[in-house]
Amino acid sequence: MMNTSMGRKAGVVLASAFGLALFSASSLVLTASAEEVPQGFKKGELAPEPSADMIEAGKRVYFTKCVWCHGVDGAGDGPGADRLWPRPRNFNQGTFKIRHTASGELPLFDAKKPIPGQNDLYETVTHGLPGSAMPSWEGILTEEQRLQVLAFVTTQLVKDRKFTDKQSETQTILQLADLKPKEATDESRKRGSELIVEKKCVECHGMEGRGDGNAFNLKDDWGFSIQPANWHKCWNFRGSRQDPYNVKNIFRTFSTGVNGTPMPSFADSTSIDDRWDIANFVNSLCERDPEGNPLPIDPLTDKPKINFVIPSNAVEGEIPADIENEAWQKTQKRYVAMGGQITHKPRNFVNRIDDIWVRSLYNEKSIVYLLEWDDRTKSVAEGKLPWAPTEVNVDVKEQEPKTGEEGSIAAHQNNYTVYNDAIAMETPVKWQDLPAPIKPRYLFGSNEQFPVDIVKWEADGSIRAFKGTGWDKDFEERDSYEENLKVLKSEWKNGRWYVMIQRPLGNKKDQDYDEDTLFEMGKYIPTVFFAWDGHNGDAGRKMAVSAFYYTFMQPPTPREVYIYPFVIAGGIVLLEAWVLTRRANKRKGKTL
Amino acid sequence: MKALMSVGALVGAVLLLLLVGMILDVVPSNSVRLVEGYMPIQMLFEVACFVIGFTGLSYMLSSMGMAMPRFWQGIGFWAFVLLYLKFRVYPPIPFSVRAMYGTVSLVAVFMWVSASEEDWKKFKQPIMNVLDAQSGANKMLRYAYLVLIPILIGWTSFNSMKPKSEEPIELRTVHPAPPASTKVHGKTYTLQTSQNPYRVNPEGKFDQEYSNKLIVEQGMGRLMAPNANPWDEKNQGYLKYVKEGGEIFFQNCHFCHGDNLNGRGLHAFAFNPIPANFTDPGTIAQLQETFIFWRVAKGGIGLPNEGFPWASVMPPWEQHLTVDEIWKVILFEYWHTGYYPRTWD
Repeated sequence: MMNTSMGRKAGVVLASAFGLALFSASSLVLTASAEEVPQGFKKGELAPEPSADMIEAGKRVYFTKCVWCHGVDGAGDGPGADRLWPRPRNFNQGTFKIRHTASGELPLFDAKKPIPGQNDLYETVTHGLPGSAMPSWEGILTEEQRLQVLAFVTTQLVKDRKFTDKQSETQTILQLADLKPKEATDESRKRGSELIVEKKCVECHGMEGRGDGNAFNLKDDWGFSIQPANWHKCWNFRGSRQDPYNVKNIFRTFSTGVNGTPMPSFADSTSIDDRWDIANFVNSLCERDPEGNPLPIDPLTDKPKINFVIPSNAVEGEIPADIENEAWQKTQKRYVAMGGQITHKPRNFVNRIDDIWVRSLYNEKSIVYLLEWDDRTKSVAEGKLPWAPTEVNVDVKEQEPKTGEEGSIAAHQNNYTVYNDAIAMETPVKWQDLPAPIKPRYLFGSNEQFPVDIVKWEADGSIRAFKGTGWDKDFEERDSYEENLKVLKSEWKNGRWYVMIQRPLGNKKDQDYDEDTLFEMGKYIPTVFFAWDGHNGDAGRKMAVSAFYYTFMQPPTPREVYIYPFVIAGGIVLLEAWVLTRRANKRKGKTL
Repeated sequence: MKALMSVGALVGAVLLLLLVGMILDVVPSNSVRLVEGYMPIQMLFEVACFVIGFTGLSYMLSSMGMAMPRFWQGIGFWAFVLLYLKFRVYPPIPFSVRAMYGTVSLVAVFMWVSASEEDWKKFKQPIMNVLDAQSGANKMLRYAYLVLIPILIGWTSFNSMKPKSEEPIELRTVHPAPPASTKVHGKTYTLQTSQNPYRVNPEGKFDQEYSNKLIVEQGMGRLMAPNANPWDEKNQGYLKYVKEGGEIFFQNCHFCHGDNLNGRGLHAFAFNPIPANFTDPGTIAQLQETFIFWRVAKGGIGLPNEGFPWASVMPPWEQHLTVDEIWKVILFEYWHTGYYPRTWD
């Protein structure tokens, strides 16, 4: 089943990319497709060649901004390339992902027409490719400079194909502007959810669309591992065009396919109506707030806006271990952004965990964190790890800066030794003693004077408590503390980890104030999260880190809050009466 | 006079419509662009245009016999100031600062409407009318106020008393005072006297004048000067090292500081404080090259106490790079942003 579908995809890519070469062999298929344009597409004209002046001007832009990653010959082998995954685009083959054109065709580019929807490459440069290192160049390069650099790239660096060659190139353009999105009704989404099974989308994108299906066997045209998109993080869609919740982006990608990857075009096999149903369903999966509205996106980062306070709600009695419980459902979920640990060796240039969703509840004795994060693979190390759990300076190598394609970080993906998936929370010990703005050093604490309290869970089921006293100091185990820690839940399901960790709040009487963080109600407790993806070879300091967040145990609303406003309102009424009487008396006095 | 005033009125009307459009999100708020670096001047210019526009508008209205009462002029102007501060000024300013400006402009409005006895009377007339409630409409209004004001104030006080969880504010010194010298890889560098050994002309002599001529051009895009391509294989001296610095930058630094050195790299979204934006005239353009050398070599962990963003993820680059590599990367950062390092004298 899987093999036939893979074969079909490969066939589509081959037939389209080397269509001309195969002309004689498959002339029948080709003539058929030349006459029959897929639904929603129309034949278009090739754009004229950009002027020599523009190309020359574009060279200047290219060698200032682009060459550092894309390389002198546009082969995607610039100085930055070997530490990036996905690797920078190799322009030579003319393979571009985000297009309005039929599968295998060149993207739309006209050096004279910077019109959204009619100029794919211009839009890619303008909006960048989120989830990769390609930034948005809008506001940095002028419109003209962006067109110039593309004139240079399309004529000089695309070597195997020619944007103006009528003999070999065609343009079959998706008429997205004329297609009205189908309303995202429950019915449409339900139909979409059935279609993604029928069309086998779930084979790669996973049962819940977290990109966890068949994630290990997928390769792009250059032989590098490639991950299916996670539909729950639409802000990471390469083609999101800084408008991630727009259903048209999904419709476009589904219709045109993604050249150079195993993602085929479904235009031939799926009606427009069905495509909208699928797009509506996929779009509905992207994370939203409790009311179902799109998350606010930060225009500077193109990721959800960050709130650094993690509110913890009070509950009476036992804290429920069931996520569906009302107490959990009523608690606000916070987006915690994760970056690679790139401060100390071994640096983690490619962190495969880029966010965690955190919720928290507390009662009079303990606080519970519910941590949910997407991880395409459940990783548990085989056998015993070659180091002790307390060891920080473990033998994991960081990626060398210059290795060539074969040794690059992209080539290593999915070939690492597998360690445990893990998550940890770090809180400063004695944070009450720190002067207001000071926090302990970010990574594993400052020193003996300002240590941190680390609670770490690993996918082998272990939960441990450590004291950290510096980024390069091995942890000290807090043995007696571990008896008090509890994993209420740990489950990996369809590309997502759900882990619920309970820890004591501590108290001033019998807790070890020098080793354990004291959790106080109504105070801002600095909290850092660390995450390890076992299949990324993450261990020791090779991990993903968050910034400092604050755990805030919400105090119950004091009774005065309900009383004073009434008192104040009453006072205002009295004041009004006084003003009115005075005015009336004055007028009387005047008229008298 | 009339022609002049009608132009003013036109300006006022257009600007007001634009502002209202931006507030209601009908007009995209970037349709009148704020130019990086010229923001304060541009704001002053805009406000001046508004004042001219208002003068024109008020003149035209009164000459058409539809003069705006002083009371509404005062309130309208104050509302304009508040809305302008909230919706137009970018980057957004915090509420506490806006409240301060709001109070100042309220006082100014009061001074304006109470400049003469006549004006003051005109201003307070509508208030007195409502208080006296001589007409039916005013009576209605008076009762509405009587009920609404206590409810509104009660509600506001309830909201302000409710326990809240807002992120604590942290202040930090962005450019802490540098030490006299710094020791990197076993060698001590005096910040006052050290020089970037790669800021050299083709003959190998330290030559800031030579290197200043070859940096990228200021202005949109910041492109390299014609005939100063660091990728030219014939380069000797400065430009050759710029290219080597660029290679190091794009193997190490761009992850946070971004492909355009604007602090918007791949991992930047996760960190707080956010990575420095070198294209901002307030960062490396204000500093000496040796200051940068010290900050790069020692990183967040090497900040003195007053610098305390202990949460900084800036690596101590001496752990990853050689001294030569650090100097080259600094050379590249100045080249790419088109700034000169400041000198000590």
